[in-house]
Amino acid sequence: MAKVSVIIPVYNAERYLAECLDSITGQTLKDIEIICISDGSTDRSYDILQKYQEQDSRILLIWRENRGYGYTMNEGIARASGEYIGIVEADDYAALNMYEELYQKAKEYDLDFVKADFYRFKRAQSGSMELACNHLSPDPSDYNKVFNPGENPETLRYIMNTWSGIYKRSFLEKYHIQHNETPGASFQDNGFWFQTFIYGKRGMIVDQPYYRNRRDNPDSSVKSKEKVYCINAEYDYIRGILLKDPALWERFRHMYWFKKYHNYMGTLWRIDEKYREEYLMRFSEELKRGIALGDLVREPFSCNAWNNIRSITEDPKKYYLTRVYPAGMNQKVFEQMQALETENRKLKEEIASIRRSKTFRLGKILLFLPGRLKRMLRRRKR
Amino acid sequence: MMDRPKVSVIVPVYNAQSHLRQCLDSIMGQTLREIEILCVDDGSTDGSAQILEEYKGCDPRLHVIMQENIGAGAARNRGLAEASGEYLSFLDADDFFEPDMLECAYERAVSGNAQIVVFRSDQYHTEEGVFRDMPWTLRSHALAPYRPMDCRTFTDNVFKVFVGWAWDKLFEREFVLKHGLGFQEQRTSNDLLFVFLAIVLAERIETEERVLAHQRRGTSSSLSNTRDKSWQCFYEALKALRENLIRLGRYQELEQDYINYALHFSLWNLDTLQGEKKKELRRMLKKHWFRELGIAGKREDYFYNKKEYRQYWEIVRGRLPRIISKCSRGIVD
Repeated sequence: MAKVSVIIPVYNAERYLAECLDSITGQTLKDIEIICISDGSTDRSYDILQKYQEQDSRILLIWRENRGYGYTMNEGIARASGEYIGIVEADDYAALNMYEELYQKAKEYDLDFVKADFYRFKRAQSGSMELACNHLSPDPSDYNKVFNPGENPETLRYIMNTWSGIYKRSFLEKYHIQHNETPGASFQDNGFWFQTFIYGKRGMIVDQPYYRNRRDNPDSSVKSKEKVYCINAEYDYIRGILLKDPALWERFRHMYWFKKYHNYMGTLWRIDEKYREEYLMRFSEELKRGIALGDLVREPFSCNAWNNIRSITEDPKKYYLTRVYPAGMNQKVFEQMQALETENRKLKEEIASIRRSKTFRLGKILLFLPGRLKRMLRRRKR
Repeated sequence: MMDRPKVSVIVPVYNAQSHLRQCLDSIMGQTLREIEILCVDDGSTDGSAQILEEYKGCDPRLHVIMQENIGAGAARNRGLAEASGEYLSFLDADDFFEPDMLECAYERAVSGNAQIVVFRSDQYHTEEGVFRDMPWTLRSHALAPYRPMDCRTFTDNVFKVFVGWAWDKLFEREFVLKHGLGFQEQRTSNDLLFVFLAIVLAERIETEERVLAHQRRGTSSSLSNTRDKSWQCFYEALKALRENLIRLGRYQELEQDYINYALHFSLWNLDTLQGEKKKELRRMLKKHWFRELGIAGKREDYFYNKKEYRQYWEIVRGRLPRIISKCSRGIVD
């Protein structure tokens, strides 16, 4: 049995594939298997994959028509025979010591999964590289110790990604942890990530960055309308999994909404401008429902985020006009609107302070009985 | 021998002679031709049987099933058992329909591989001769703009997004059989359980915004106008719905929606019931049913509609002056 099975889902990645494969075949941990699945690629990815396969017998190559990212990942996990499973996107790459060191940690502490910090990178035309280290948690004391994510919903605050870690295969199998098999690449990693946390008993995060995540791929933005609501469908899938066990839902529903909110917010800015208003209306409806059911609560959110939630639920049209739409709007009109907003708020405050004043209250009390009488008389007449 | 019909239309008929012809013409004239029509005569004592006999002669797609008078619920089950179509439509003999209702709904169903299709409908007031909108039968604001759409994607009370009657919907027969769904054999509210369980269980629901059916209001034979004979049926329906949700393991998830709906529907029944049974119903709600339906003992913030909660409180505590009832509510909460 190989120590780690590395799964590489490939979809039209000819530009980056060689760099990715070099970093995996060259891993210092030699006892690995490499499962490359081309999910209906139409470019030259196949030639590249075949060339590497000829040179490295550890590579298993699957070439088939497009079935979507989720299906591809599930197929990879089902084919894997290693003790642990790692995931590498075809346009990313990994430090050569990544799997050796993660495997060592995983074995030493008998972990269900171990994840590491990672780099996001952009490569300019000139070849110069911009690297940014991303920490899974802002708190250094969260690192390098075993934690139980299934008992600690707070750990869902860690940055979400599936590729910066490795997962014990028997753990994935025991809880039937699978990706959602929706078409295309539709955030299916969210559901996988959620499941590893809600079912995991022994997890660890390490403060060493190994994985390099590409941020300059022009093909990875959301342009088509069908893609707009993929994230919603993914969070429906996640809720479905949590609801299978009412205790699980009870424990994680607040953090579920925390993750959902931030992912929807990200989507709002990623989708094409012309879909943003419609998207925000649906967002508002879902938030309101979450609040009505007591699933969405104030506690996990920052002040800023909670203010956004309140604005979006109270008046999504206004939120759109004042916070989203200005991106492409006339600056002058926007400033005017802001000024009116401020004035409006001031006047409202003034009304409130008058209502609070002693004279107003006294008048209200004095006029209470006469008012009642008048109303009664009016009713009589009718 | 005809191929499998695309839609089986099931019509329970009970003393409906005044509108039966228009209803049957409306169904037989549907632009979707590949249908079968199952009329279940629920022991009519007027001329309905003769009309059915007459129509049967001129259209082989019409089948007449006779049964003694045991209610529309039983009649629909009978029709359901005999049906062979891909989809099921349950219509009432006093309503009438757009000529392309079935075609339009069926196309929706097929294109979305849906288990349920819900379409818009309106009311026809016989006396005034006017049509009135019924926006509450399909609350578009609560529907997901993406697919697949199941009840978990609704952003309003799952039991209020659509209405718990069957005639403005199409149901996939295989889906109905798979879950063993059936109508309650009682005089009124016999389709509530069927419809809501279907909505809860369906993985793919589609809707059609066009008005395709017209519900006739203000006719004396309509069962809903003589509810004093069956005023407890709604309670049986709500109770059965709760039991079934528990059996399916979905109650916990839907409890808040269910309780809000149960209160809403109880109050609606109380408001619309006339005569001496009204007092009786009020007494039963207060003494037993609010508790048995799980409404009693819930805090104010559990209820989406505060007005309904106040009405509930008035029934339980009587008409106290507002300030006192407010205080006593505060103490209980």
